[in-house]
Amino acid sequence: MAENDETAHESLTIKQQREKRRAEKVAALKAKQAKEKRNRLIGIVAGATAGLLIVGTLVAVVVTSATPPPPTSQNLTAAERAALEIEGLEIFESVEGLHVETPVAYEMTPPAGGPHHPRWLNCGTYEQEVPAEFAVHSLEHGAVWVTYDPDLVTGGDLDALRSAMPRTYMILSPFTGLDAPVVASAWGAQVALDGVDDPRLVDFIIKYRQSPTAPEPGALCSQALDGEGKIS
Amino acid sequence: MTTTSVAPSDPALAAPVRRSRLIVVIGLLVLVSLTIGVLVGRVTSSGAPMPSEASAEAGFARDMQVHHGQAVEMSLLVRDRSDDAEVRLFALDVATAQAQQQGQMFAWLVMWGLPQTSSSDEMEWLSRPVIDGSAGHDGHGGHTPGEPMPGVATFEQMQALQSATGVDAERLYLELMIEHHMGGVDMAEAVLARSDDPVVTQLARGMVQLQQKELDYMAELLAERP
Repeated sequence: MAENDETAHESLTIKQQREKRRAEKVAALKAKQAKEKRNRLIGIVAGATAGLLIVGTLVAVVVTSATPPPPTSQNLTAAERAALEIEGLEIFESVEGLHVETPVAYEMTPPAGGPHHPRWLNCGTYEQEVPAEFAVHSLEHGAVWVTYDPDLVTGGDLDALRSAMPRTYMILSPFTGLDAPVVASAWGAQVALDGVDDPRLVDFIIKYRQSPTAPEPGALCSQALDGEGKIS
Repeated sequence: MTTTSVAPSDPALAAPVRRSRLIVVIGLLVLVSLTIGVLVGRVTSSGAPMPSEASAEAGFARDMQVHHGQAVEMSLLVRDRSDDAEVRLFALDVATAQAQQQGQMFAWLVMWGLPQTSSSDEMEWLSRPVIDGSAGHDGHGGHTPGEPMPGVATFEQMQALQSATGVDAERLYLELMIEHHMGGVDMAEAVLARSDDPVVTQLARGMVQLQQKELDYMAELLAERP
């Protein structure tokens, strides 16, 4: 084959040889250009990839650490409202669960924590006033105690209040001498309400019934003292 | 002469092609890296997203705590009203096991940042969709969302148990607890149909198995007390 080539080569005219050399130069130049182009593209892609990996990592960090923005809308669920501060909420930080068998002068009306009787009041709905020293023990077990002024809350209002109570860890009872129609109390927390349809009642119950802020949530609220007039 | 058409002396034609190709490549890389970023973020945050306020998991954790609470209460009641070793031991078993499970469900809600008290009705979580979408195996045993929990003893039934003694108390306890356990199994199956949370489904599966076994045992104990 080589001989044939040589023979062919010798047989080429000068012009043909020049053409061939030129074609070889062009091919070499094209190869060089292609190589440069490839290197340039590799450089761009590598640079872009590195840059975008940084962007991706930043996005990952943001997604990981993102917290939902605080709700500002009026269109909140009851649970979301309860998670916010309840307007008019009173907090009593210093209440302590001492057991006493004597009457206690509580710092707030109705009592929302403090010394209490060793027996707790069984949770439920009462038609009559209940002994406060026993009810406070139930608050320690994570109950919410809803009290109402028996002169102001009657009839349909009282029925509505009774049916708004969750099945367990709730005490509902009349209480004379309230400063508001309805007052809801939990261990160390209380809110005075404008009436049975005050939305803060639901918010308070959601926030405090069986709340970890009570010393012993989940301890029984039955099998101790059944007060007078317990109807459910 | 054709070779000259690809020579560098013709940049006006090649440049726009090159530029648009580069834009496409960069665009794709942006998409890929954003996707990777989001996925990495998801995976490294806390695995699956935590159950929300309206989830079946949260509804189950709340309602089942109340449901278990009554089982504990009935078991403690019968222990004070009977001297039968078998029933008293069974009641102790139920009371301690279910009180411990109540604590687990309490802690879930704390970790999910949710209150223990629901903002909706009992069993409202049955309205959450079942996972496999199959009809007829939705596991809620004919209950309607928002209806009271299944198997719960009434105020009057609890009063009756409170005033009963001896074999009467044992019999009433077993009857009430059989109803209660059947309702409990329904509730556990309802959450199993609606949740793939590994912690929730593990406990719910355990409840189904254990309470079904206890249903058989209670039927035996009841048969011995005609």
